[in-house]
Amino acid sequence: MAVGVKVMKRPGSATSYVRATLKGMALTFRHLFQPKVTMQYPEEKSTEDWTISSRWRGTHRMLTDEQGRSKCVACGLCPQICPANCIKLVPGEDEQGNRYPLIYEIDEFRCVFCGYCQEVCPEEAIHVGVHYENSEYSRDRFVYDLERLCAQTHPVSTLWDPSDPRGE
Amino acid sequence: MNKRTVELELATPGLDAQGRPVRVPLTVGGTGGGEVAGQVAVEPGSEHMLLNIGPQHPATHGVLRLVVELDGEVVVRCIPHVGYLHSGFEKLGEYRHYNQIIPLTDRTDYLSPMANNVGFALAAERLMGIAITPRCTVLRVIACEMSRVISHMVWLGTTAIDLGAFTPFLWAFQERERIYDLQEMWTGARLTTSVTRVGGMMADIPDAFVTGLRHFTETFPKTLHEIDGVLTRNAVWVGRTQNVGVLRREEAINHSLSGPMLRASGVAYDLRRDKPYLDYETYDFDVPVGEHGDVYDRYLVRLEECHQSNRILQQALARLPDGPVNVDDPRVILPSKSRAMSDMEAMIYHFKQVMEGVKAPVGEAYVGIENPKGELGTYLVSDGSAKPVRWRIRPPSFINLSSLPKMAEGHLLSDLIAINASVDIVMGEVDR
Repeated sequence: MAVGVKVMKRPGSATSYVRATLKGMALTFRHLFQPKVTMQYPEEKSTEDWTISSRWRGTHRMLTDEQGRSKCVACGLCPQICPANCIKLVPGEDEQGNRYPLIYEIDEFRCVFCGYCQEVCPEEAIHVGVHYENSEYSRDRFVYDLERLCAQTHPVSTLWDPSDPRGE
Repeated sequence: MNKRTVELELATPGLDAQGRPVRVPLTVGGTGGGEVAGQVAVEPGSEHMLLNIGPQHPATHGVLRLVVELDGEVVVRCIPHVGYLHSGFEKLGEYRHYNQIIPLTDRTDYLSPMANNVGFALAAERLMGIAITPRCTVLRVIACEMSRVISHMVWLGTTAIDLGAFTPFLWAFQERERIYDLQEMWTGARLTTSVTRVGGMMADIPDAFVTGLRHFTETFPKTLHEIDGVLTRNAVWVGRTQNVGVLRREEAINHSLSGPMLRASGVAYDLRRDKPYLDYETYDFDVPVGEHGDVYDRYLVRLEECHQSNRILQQALARLPDGPVNVDDPRVILPSKSRAMSDMEAMIYHFKQVMEGVKAPVGEAYVGIENPKGELGTYLVSDGSAKPVRWRIRPPSFINLSSLPKMAEGHLLSDLIAINASVDIVMGEVDR
């Protein structure tokens, strides 16, 4: 059988205070001369080893069309799928019969950043974005309205995006 | 006669006239946790002392409260109180579609989120009778073993800190960060991964992932050997852990323990070997078991499990097949974005699936998987709608925690910290 059982034997009587201490200090000293693993955030926001993933699920962003209007057609999928119930959507209709959101609000406090809203959006309008610094001075500033969502400029997550076919 | 009491809100015999829970004082010198003051006479000269540890205490690994009756420095009774992190996940799940529950499973055992996602998805798939693709199977094995590594690394680091060794903590957390970077690359989140969907995964792995994980599996054993070198033969570590919190074979089975806790007591029970899922029986690995069932053996078992997980990860990377990740069923899996935006039929399926959810046939399903902490069971009952009627989690750390009073009896107060750490609890899962 490929899956075996391994009995963990204890090491014999070879335990000691002095040798263990010296060994530990030697190891720790060796680590002094190894490359640093820390990053001086917020001065540095990426290192050679790490930059934030392009799939990062962070602060939301609503994409806009050429006229600067939001791409949202108020179909109602994102408030339906949202596991945290943090999206408020009131649909409206203009003279040509096009649906648009009268009210579109995302409560970033309630949001769990699962990204389902982006996954289900059939117009590629609402996105989670590659952005994580969103502190504010007051609580009510965390309810992002449509204007604010459209005004965000950070890059959007490439998950569920045709530009990243493996992420679809 | 002065009676020293500590009020317990949780062990209540009922409600009073105002409808509030009756507070039961816990008296010194009793034998159980729930007796009412006055029934137990306490000698005025009794030397016993009641001590409250937690819920806000770093050594209880979360919001666990321990009420300890002490005779000098020796623990006479230890009564754990849970529920401070209760979030009602199981109830919330009854109002959500199967796929919407997956973000909730991230937050139960938050030290191994990907393994929880896999456990839930497997149960939902058994309920619906879905067979996943070969690539998805291997990806889920990778997800589970990555979770095992990070969970054991956190356990190792925090336990070492509890027992006074600070350095291994930093090394263990460096390794954990590297896995988190890989998880972030894959899912776009470091901790709340939500990586599975019913019938597949949220996304395929990106191109750089395989290289990154292979680099990790090559360099990770070095850290394990360093930790092994610092702790295993260290007289301080050995003195604090050997013959502390011993659970014999029979006791471990009677307490319904699972995972490393059970295996350290000498029972070679591992769901990956005994009830294989995700084709685990085709991998080449060993199940480590201990001989004495004390804290030291739990340390040895977990350290060896990290080595074995590393082996499984290497084998999984070597066999990772090409092909689709998700099953080809438009009733279960959302169509790809480009198709949903261009093809009318795909768009209809897309809307239907999001608005109505994935319907499961009437029935029930139980799947147990070997989580880092033990057997994580997911039990689902369906009435034929898109939401489960009941979603029950068998939380391994909650059940393992039940052996704490037994293990702590007769040990020193400082050993209680070592014993509690060795259980490897996560309060998000204990309280759910």
